Amino acid sequence: MLLTAIAFVGALSGVVTIGAQRAAPAIPKPAIPKPAIQGPAALGTRFDTVVAPFVKTYCLECHSGEKPEAELDLSTLTSMTAAANEPRWGLILEMLESGEMPADDAKEQPAPHTRAQAVAWFKDLRTYEVARNAGDPGVVLARRLNNAEYNYTIRDLTGVDLQPSREFPADPSNPAGFDNSGESLTMSPSLLKKYLAASRDIANHAYLNADGIRFAPHSMLADVDADKLFVHRIIDFYHQQNTSYAAYFAAAWRHKHRAALGRPRATLADTATDAKVSAKYLATLWDVLEGPRETVGPIARVQDRWRALPAPGPKGEDTAAGGREALQNYIELLRAKIEPRFRNLVAPGVNAAQQPFMIWRNVQFATHRMTFDPAQLQVGSEPRPEPIVDPEPGNNQFGPGPTPPVVNAIGDPDLVVPAGERARYEAQFARFSRVFPDMFYMQERGRHYFDRVHDRGRYLDAGFHSLMGYFRDDQPLYELVLDTAQQQALDALWLDMDVVGNVTSRMYQQYIENQTSQGGGRGRVVMPPNPNNDLVTSEPRVKAIEAAFVVAAEGGEPRTFEAIHQYFGFINDRLRLVERLRREAEPKHLDALAAFAQRAYRRPLTPAERDDLRRHYQQARHDGLDHDAAIRESLVVILMSPDFLYRLDLLTTDSDVAPLSGYALASRLSYFLWSTLPDDELLARAAAGDLRKPGVMAAQAKRMLKDPRARALAVEFGGNWLDFRRFQDIATVDRERFPAFSNELRSAMFEEPVRLLLDVMQANRPVLDLLYATDTFVNPVLAKHYGMPPPKTSTASDGEGAGDTWTRVTNAQAYGRGGLLPMAAFLTRNAPGLRTSPVKRGNWVVKNVLGEHISPPPPTVPQLPQDEAKLDLPLRQMMERHRADPQCAACHAKFDAMGLVFEGYGPVGERRQTDLANRPVDVTVTFPGGSQGAGVAGLRDYIRAHRQRQFVDNVSGKLLAFALSRSLVLTDGPLVEDMSRTLAARGYRFDSLLERIVTSRQFLNKRGSLSTGHDPKRHDPQDSRPKESRP
Amino acid sequence: MSQHRPSRRHSRNAVPRRTVLHGIGVTMALPWMESLAGFGSTETMAAAARAKEVAGAPKRFAVVFQGNGINPNHWWAKGSGAAMELSQTLQPLEKVKTKINVIDGLFNKFATGNGIHPGMTGNLLTGAPLKRGAIMHSGISLDQMLANHIGQDTAQSSLVLACEEPMTGYHETNFSNAYGSHISWQNADSPMPNEMYPSLAFDSLFENRGNMRNVSVLDRVKERAESLRRQIASTDRAKLDEYLSSVRDVERGVERLRVEKDKAEDRANGKPLLTMKRPDNGLPEDLRVHAQLMADIVAMAFQTDKTRVVSLILARDLSALYYPFLDVREAHHGASHNDTSEGYERIARFHLSQFAYLAQRLDEMPEGEGTVLDNCCLLYLSNMFSGSKHDNSKVPLITAGGLGGTLETGRTLHFADAGDENRKLCSLYLGIMDRMDVKLAAFGDADSRLSLF
Repeated sequence: MLLTAIAFVGALSGVVTIGAQRAAPAIPKPAIPKPAIQGPAALGTRFDTVVAPFVKTYCLECHSGEKPEAELDLSTLTSMTAAANEPRWGLILEMLESGEMPADDAKEQPAPHTRAQAVAWFKDLRTYEVARNAGDPGVVLARRLNNAEYNYTIRDLTGVDLQPSREFPADPSNPAGFDNSGESLTMSPSLLKKYLAASRDIANHAYLNADGIRFAPHSMLADVDADKLFVHRIIDFYHQQNTSYAAYFAAAWRHKHRAALGRPRATLADTATDAKVSAKYLATLWDVLEGPRETVGPIARVQDRWRALPAPGPKGEDTAAGGREALQNYIELLRAKIEPRFRNLVAPGVNAAQQPFMIWRNVQFATHRMTFDPAQLQVGSEPRPEPIVDPEPGNNQFGPGPTPPVVNAIGDPDLVVPAGERARYEAQFARFSRVFPDMFYMQERGRHYFDRVHDRGRYLDAGFHSLMGYFRDDQPLYELVLDTAQQQALDALWLDMDVVGNVTSRMYQQYIENQTSQGGGRGRVVMPPNPNNDLVTSEPRVKAIEAAFVVAAEGGEPRTFEAIHQYFGFINDRLRLVERLRREAEPKHLDALAAFAQRAYRRPLTPAERDDLRRHYQQARHDGLDHDAAIRESLVVILMSPDFLYRLDLLTTDSDVAPLSGYALASRLSYFLWSTLPDDELLARAAAGDLRKPGVMAAQAKRMLKDPRARALAVEFGGNWLDFRRFQDIATVDRERFPAFSNELRSAMFEEPVRLLLDVMQANRPVLDLLYATDTFVNPVLAKHYGMPPPKTSTASDGEGAGDTWTRVTNAQAYGRGGLLPMAAFLTRNAPGLRTSPVKRGNWVVKNVLGEHISPPPPTVPQLPQDEAKLDLPLRQMMERHRADPQCAACHAKFDAMGLVFEGYGPVGERRQTDLANRPVDVTVTFPGGSQGAGVAGLRDYIRAHRQRQFVDNVSGKLLAFALSRSLVLTDGPLVEDMSRTLAARGYRFDSLLERIVTSRQFLNKRGSLSTGHDPKRHDPQDSRPKESRP
Repeated sequence: MSQHRPSRRHSRNAVPRRTVLHGIGVTMALPWMESLAGFGSTETMAAAARAKEVAGAPKRFAVVFQGNGINPNHWWAKGSGAAMELSQTLQPLEKVKTKINVIDGLFNKFATGNGIHPGMTGNLLTGAPLKRGAIMHSGISLDQMLANHIGQDTAQSSLVLACEEPMTGYHETNFSNAYGSHISWQNADSPMPNEMYPSLAFDSLFENRGNMRNVSVLDRVKERAESLRRQIASTDRAKLDEYLSSVRDVERGVERLRVEKDKAEDRANGKPLLTMKRPDNGLPEDLRVHAQLMADIVAMAFQTDKTRVVSLILARDLSALYYPFLDVREAHHGASHNDTSEGYERIARFHLSQFAYLAQRLDEMPEGEGTVLDNCCLLYLSNMFSGSKHDNSKVPLITAGGLGGTLETGRTLHFADAGDENRKLCSLYLGIMDRMDVKLAAFGDADSRLSLF
């Protein structure tokens, strides 16, 4: 049987039938009628006595023979079975019922009761068929990922939210209002080109490191792209580490007094976790503070101060903050007094700006951050060291900044050491310096090393003049603070800078080029000849250049040679390491490619598919692409493959109805709840093969609903159901008249229904809360718009939702809000700009919220003026006048009242007492069926009393259609009915809907076979609309 | 959208030209070798095809950049048309002077007030403010904006070339030197990588590269879709067929690129297209050879419609190039601090002569009624007028070519006194884009066109 253009819920509740031609009754039936189902025997008898003669008499004249009218041959309608198999019998029913057939020019017209008998039979046949085939999976067409799914999927596949479909054309919706079904999602050459360009762009974001394939938030084609990526990743990593002494001392103090503070059993590690500090470094400090008492030197002073800290107050008050601060000050001041400093190196033929010397100095600082300068100790009997006269000869304007010496006051008690006690004190200073470094890491280094004012923002820079170079200086952080896993993560980031960003090679090449090109000025080294034309980065060439430096530095102090050897040794080692790692990584990249394809296709690859990928990579290499480019191209192939772009449920058996495979089911579930690909756990269940079990399925659905990705359900399902998905694009508001309508407010309006929907879903609230809730969600800008007091924002340190400015308002009805109905998004969306639109708002309530089918207005309908301020009469009276026309009244009676209740809200959803022409607004209405009410509260009461079941059916049906990625068909009726019933029985809790859907026959199975079907009539290849067929 | 590019790792083992020093004799083949093509086609058919094709001769754009300014004493032009008088530095353009415009007085507001060098360069073609420190930020550049609009129908949407390695350290103004090395930006956050290797630039136009590469991708997914048809329900096949026919359609479009050469031959009125031998691997040792190879590649790419958009850096900002063949001992940047010297005039003239060479090459290529140059706009500019003063209150700028008759040439235009609002580089760029059918309301810091241009 053919079922098209059926507004499903309408059909069930009797409001709309096929063709939706009849006017609805004033009050829709609150409950689904339960017709008595006639069996096949009775139907067969009635066919023979009623239908067969009817067809013969009134139809066959045109609909038979060589060329039947409308290519509809009814001579085959010889039995009830034949009638049921006629694919277009739904159309026959529609034609008979509407009176369009027999045609006006037919020889004979049936008497009304004769027609009614035939119509009744077809209806009973439908009832019978629905019952018999209830739960049929229906035809779920192959569907390409829609724009939203594509964005979410790319995000989860690459780890970066690239939103590649931003500039794609909008996806059309199916009759159910959703853009996730094969019915409406089409492909075209121009769209395919966009996918191709997007795939290239995504692949250009890929980079290959020593372990595999990764993606950056920006393209990774130019050298500076890699610099940007890794510099920021490393800086972010540093910033995530807690290196504040205040935090550590506070934690240690709380740990010491843990019993008094109510945590008697807390371990040091527990305390570290609570305080968000490194457990490793806290333990080190604890040993210093609470370990054996020292008698002389800085640690003894630290211990004295520590022990002097007061205990918490009687209510756990922090009484020691001041003392801890003094302790911290003592440490930091002392550290500055004993900081080792290293002057710039120079040699006769090599100036201080040369990389070997600057790197040498950087290394000295970096490796001495946990040591101290013994020369700063003022030992009683020792002579004071002579001040340095010319600290840095040969440092020129392009060289590194000068190194100011540390100068301490004579007799500084922190530094004074009794005569003969140097060794004992040095040991104490050494221990102190190991625990309290100069700094944990250096994030910015300008050319003027000690000038912390200039050269800001040169993160990780080595400090060269005009040349690139990065230098790692984080030994204290690495050794004192990071655990093993963190150390590995940081090492990997620095390695990526080289393996991906090529920084050592670039630094060296740019430097050597600069040596030679600038003509051998003072202090530059003349490059040796290169008879073999060696690459500048090759080992022989590095050695040859090193030798030239050694010659140039002749006469310099020993450290200069040490610096030269160290530099070229480091460069050569690093270059060779990177070469080796890249070589070794190539097979890993091919494996990563297969893993990427597997995630993209949402199922394991076949061996043949693996081979194909490899073959294509090799072909690309053969065509002259290098490794990176060939991998990128392979990524493009994966992203363009139908296995990725389409959700295809591959057939496992060739039968009409078959269970979906575990992987297909996993995809169906994840695209339903997340609009994106399945996660590892879901795929593991698919692989284990137990996803079909009702318990497993429901448990997975519940788990996934709690995941942040479930926001997509609120946005994609809720947004399309309630028609606010594209609210952020609306441009109808006149911002001069409504200056409050900023982009921020618009975003907030969009966010409000998303938050409420998500809360109902995730907190398992009753779906009726969507209508009747007394709460809603606001952020500061929306609260202001609603006239609510500004919400208290959560503090940024509270983990999940930190910095989130959204909050729940429990008494929203006091401000005229609460639930979906009075949300600004809908009130604004359904107002044309400078006035409200009770028609649009009412239509939205009736159509989107309650699910009643409303025919589009006839083309001749007069338009209301655009600006409310310029109306002669209140809008209400203009509409009354319009309703006086009986032709208009039929439809308007259904929704006008539902819109007029919102007149207390202006064009951008603001509350108001008067309209834009300063006339007081009137929100009292008479609802369909005659009951009176006023405002949103009146509407809520009316729905509760008369339309609630319709709302519940609508939610059930819409959610099912979204979950199945298809429009509903008649055989879904029993399931929707069951969903609504279960919902009511379980307090309307959202999870009952979810559970019922994911365990339904429709959800778990697939209709479709390889052949064109057993009965060729049932499958019109030109017609890809959903069809109903029977096994 | 970006097309396929050779990976940036091509440069991993780059041989810095000036490191491999002294005297490897490189024998270069003559860049131009006559092609044997062009004979034997039916005259009448070719003529008919030509009449149609020539009307649609593509418009091309190339920008040629030289950093650190010119010799201000020797950069001027007077008069117009055949009577135009050219200064010493501009002499190389004598032969094509009726096809050029010498434009004086334009500037880029956001490139001023940033201190010297990199802050004067990274936004030359973008008109956007730049950021100091590690976060680089400019805007999309003129050439890439054009490439995004008109680049899809050619093998490469654009060529981004350079004759000098980029620098990426920090200048004392705290702007990254990468700003001085990149004038082409694919978006505000990322510059386009420069191709320095003539051999790779050459390859990118041919064989199986760039947009052509899409055929290989589409072939693969087509195969896959065809094999999938056997594993899916009959009802799903219609959806897959829709995908397959889209793939085939796009593939046919890409394959059309392969016949561009024939069209180019038609446009050339039966005259042979110019061809060149594939340049040797590696970087040419001699800057003169390098620059000329790049110009030849551009000329060939334009004639055969392999790309319509090019940017070419001859010498970057803070250039470390040196010019023993011009008898200048100092490297480029150092020499620019003495920019009124004869030596620096020779440097500026050398670079301008590369531009003139390209213009002449294109002007020797017949296309329809005119030449390829007539359908181009070549833009020559530097980031400052005076390198000794680091003065970019105006920049030296010359255009060549008539963009298919839409751009009047043979003129000297003066904007220095027009007021800052009326002498923006971006206003010029809007005018160029208009003529290439890329109509934007605003670009960079401009929302109006130059009067008179």
